[in-house]
Amino acid sequence: MKVVLFVLVILVILALLAIMSRNRLVRANISVDEAFAQIDVQLKRRSDLIPNLVETVKGYAAHESGTLEAIVAARAKSTQATTFADVAAADGQLTQALRGLLAVTENYPDLKASSNFLALQEELSSTENKVSFARQFYNDNVRTLNSAIKTFPSSLFVKSAGVSPRPFYEVDDPQDRKAPQVKF
Amino acid sequence: MDFRKLQSANKLKSTELLFGMALLVGIVIWALMTYFGKTGIGVVPFAVGIALLSVWGSYWTSDKIVLTMTGAKLVTESENKQLYDLVTEVCIAAGLPVPKIAIVEDNAPNAFATGRDPNHAVIAFTTGILRVMDREELQGVTAHEMAHVANRDTLVSAIAATTAGALALLSDFMMRIMIFGGGNRRDNNNNDQNPIALIASLIVLILAPLAALLLRLAISRKREALADVTAVAFTRNPTGLRRALEVLAADSTVVHQRSTAVAHIWIESPLDGSKTSQLFSTHPTLASRIATLKAMEGNS
Repeated sequence: MKVVLFVLVILVILALLAIMSRNRLVRANISVDEAFAQIDVQLKRRSDLIPNLVETVKGYAAHESGTLEAIVAARAKSTQATTFADVAAADGQLTQALRGLLAVTENYPDLKASSNFLALQEELSSTENKVSFARQFYNDNVRTLNSAIKTFPSSLFVKSAGVSPRPFYEVDDPQDRKAPQVKF
Repeated sequence: MDFRKLQSANKLKSTELLFGMALLVGIVIWALMTYFGKTGIGVVPFAVGIALLSVWGSYWTSDKIVLTMTGAKLVTESENKQLYDLVTEVCIAAGLPVPKIAIVEDNAPNAFATGRDPNHAVIAFTTGILRVMDREELQGVTAHEMAHVANRDTLVSAIAATTAGALALLSDFMMRIMIFGGGNRRDNNNNDQNPIALIASLIVLILAPLAALLLRLAISRKREALADVTAVAFTRNPTGLRRALEVLAADSTVVHQRSTAVAHIWIESPLDGSKTSQLFSTHPTLASRIATLKAMEGNS
């Protein structure tokens, strides 16, 4: 009788462990999806800022049409991107194009003094921070998921939970490895 | 130094300290039983109940109470766009909902966060800190405060306060019983008790409140250290918080509200004017916090 009870207790504990490790995988997978949705939200916000930015800069810095066109093109690409890899690639291009524009504006004191541009600049630099933190948060969640998939005991339930390792969100941008710029 | 390793080390240490408190409760109950016999246990539910009532009410409504006590005014996105953006950025990094944001009219640079869970969190800045710090430094401060929210430090300190309060009450009850009802012990047939055990239990009962207070402060210091490391995990930028702490170290003005009731929630302790012993302080020294952040800078 005692032996049966003992075995029963062990079985219940094992079952609980199994449920917990499987739930851990499912939860980690959902977190990755949510984190990606956050990247998407911030990318859209950034896209919405660009027409206004381009118009404002055009008024003061007509010579920079090349830089502006690069931004418009990168924005178009990013709004059309659907697959994970395309989104990341377009994001990287737009990030670089915007950085180029902000560097160029240093040469136009009138533009820098305009209140419209100042408001836009705050909005843009904050959005840039948000995009970069959203990427970082996504990658942290991927890291958690991928290590749960590889480590025991959750590794036993990968099939039943229907999860698979996810790719990191990497934009092709050497500057991105550093801390985000937060000066203003 | 790797922030992930530091994070788990600090978490482990504060968990150990909480276990230390549980152990202390166990020892005090043993002492009560040794000294007063089984009836001694009767006071435990009362002490725990009173401590629970007094702490958990304020824990549950901490966001509202602290706003009233410090006179912080809530601000909306349109009122202070930059501050709102700054807090939102850190929340995205932390994966937390954006808390209520408040400003305290005070020249001393300081900040705090509280709330029973991330959905009831409030973060407050003094007008002084908004004036003296640049965006990178404020980001570090915000990350430290949001780290408290993410680590549920309001809950941790409520647990520590409840335990310390219950132990203080137990010790107090015990003193009263000893003074006014000294006959109790003999009625419980405890005469055969080992006298060494009796003396030991008496010492335990007298020292328990002090030990509980020290443990509670040690927990507070560990959670502060943990919040610094978690802040770096959010921003990946130890420099911002390090520079912010240096600004605080160089600044000599102290928050006007020197109430001990809310001292532990500020980023820099408002009570540390004097050179009180490190053992009795709610925060690690600024110098040691800066040193830890510097070590992380070298690595990232």
